[in-house]
Amino acid sequence: MSIKIQDLTFCYKNFALDVKNLQFESARMTSIVGPNGAGKTTLLKCISAILPVKRGSLFINGMDVAELKGARRARLLTYVPQEHGSAFNYLVLDFVLMGRAAYHSPLSSPSATDHKIAREALEFVGLSDYSWRPYSQLSSGERRLVLIARAFAQNSEILLLDEPTSFLDPKHETEIMTLTKRLAEERKKTILITLHNLDAALKYSDSMVFMKNGGVFASGKAEEILDENLLEKVYEIPMKIIHYDGRKFIVK
Amino acid sequence: MNGRVNKKFKIIYLFLLLLPLVVFILSFNIGSYPIPLRDLMKTLISPFFPGVKQSLPSTYLSIVFGIRFPRLLLALAVGAALSVSGASLQALFKNPLVNEYILGISSGAAFGASLSLVFLRKGIPTQIMAFLFALAAVFIVLLIARGSDSPLISLLLTGVIVSAFFSALLSLVEFFASPYSLQALFFWLMGNLALASWQELAISLPVIAVGVVLLILLRWRMNILSMGDDEAQSLGIDVKKEKMLIIFLTTLTTSAATAVAGIIGWIGLIVPHLVRMIVGVDNRKVIPFSAAVGASLLLLADDMTRAVASYEIPVGIFTSIIGIPFFIFLLRKSRRTWL
Repeated sequence: MSIKIQDLTFCYKNFALDVKNLQFESARMTSIVGPNGAGKTTLLKCISAILPVKRGSLFINGMDVAELKGARRARLLTYVPQEHGSAFNYLVLDFVLMGRAAYHSPLSSPSATDHKIAREALEFVGLSDYSWRPYSQLSSGERRLVLIARAFAQNSEILLLDEPTSFLDPKHETEIMTLTKRLAEERKKTILITLHNLDAALKYSDSMVFMKNGGVFASGKAEEILDENLLEKVYEIPMKIIHYDGRKFIVK
Repeated sequence: MNGRVNKKFKIIYLFLLLLPLVVFILSFNIGSYPIPLRDLMKTLISPFFPGVKQSLPSTYLSIVFGIRFPRLLLALAVGAALSVSGASLQALFKNPLVNEYILGISSGAAFGASLSLVFLRKGIPTQIMAFLFALAAVFIVLLIARGSDSPLISLLLTGVIVSAFFSALLSLVEFFASPYSLQALFFWLMGNLALASWQELAISLPVIAVGVVLLILLRWRMNILSMGDDEAQSLGIDVKKEKMLIIFLTTLTTSAATAVAGIIGWIGLIVPHLVRMIVGVDNRKVIPFSAAVGASLLLLADDMTRAVASYEIPVGIFTSIIGIPFFIFLLRKSRRTWL
């Protein structure tokens, strides 16, 4: 499943997103990084058609996203929000089950198969014992895991994760990143993930997209595009790349 | 969840689902005309046993089947309609405090029905007028509230304003009404089931039944819509279309109920809350159990209005007087579970 963007524009109030040409490889994990307000979340929301896109600007496997309808699009791609806030405190299993909506008509309810898939999804994120707990009683790390489980249950080829690791402790951050990586490697999912932690992006992703001011500043494999000059231009502060234990680390 | 807890829940669920039937049967015994229990039983089974029928006074037959039966049935239907509509709207607007009143459905329906009661006595049926104006009120509210940055607050505010507007129009109708039609209108506005007849049921019951059944079928979608527009869309739902469908169905059932029973407040707010306290927030349970509990509670409330005094207090007044303190109690008790 490849994603191809050409001349994607979106305007909201004072912000304009303008992506000329960008492609994402199938079964790979791509990190989208850049300063706050660069348009990372807007890009993800445009790709998932939560924000309206123009015809002929966004293609998934050659299909125009603007022409895809609800359930069909949801079986193709899943947007995973950063946080979920609902007035209703659903049980974790019921929450994950909602990932199966795209496979049902409006008048039907989830089947035994859907329950099985939801349980598998919880097992995948390591929260099998949490099925009957209320969502709001979970820690924020566990909530992110539940959101990933729901996306897993939705079983689409493409997953768009919006800063799934922000405000998490190192253990949960590692857990989320490892699971995401596994989704790309084992399940052949195409993953787009927005991140602020550049070290995590370097360690886990196959390629990177640097965004700034609503546009793409650079994109490609990290080893090919990443240098101190690029980092300083994107983030407007000097940064150093150091080598340790065979890996690159970024120091501010 | 272990097996024993599961079993305990199953017993509670079964009890709740059978409750309307139990209350329905027991309610035949209540009314101003006393019928001995033995004779009441005989009357109830008489349609199946022609022999029993001949031994009974015809008064019993006409009271039980002509007056009580339609009234009890109407109480069940109206209770289910208001509760299911309330629960659906709460899921749809992601807020446990939304109800038919806040969205202007009730005041629109009241105005439409008053037009028909006062001016068009034999013209367009009350139900149709109630439905048209309820729909108009909802669409005005949604139209004004559309595209706001804080949809919920603007929705609630416009709901209050539009309700006030239709209340003013209602006052205007009252002002021009003749004393006779004014009395009928007042009686109706207070919300009561005393006018129930098979004729009224023939129109309202099918409409309520279709609305309630469709809303019950849509129950799982309401879970997904309650996640918020962005998430619901990402989960594969045509948010606009399904929201409109649910709003249309709740308007239909509420206005059909309002047209026959007048304004009966607080059922649509209290019942879903009560149900959530028992079964949790999953709409797959909340919606059908709201139907069962709402039907039972309104019938019980109506029984009380007939049992406490020799004259009948309109059930709408009764549900408000009992309902509001009860709702305050619920709010205080369940604050932490969903707010």
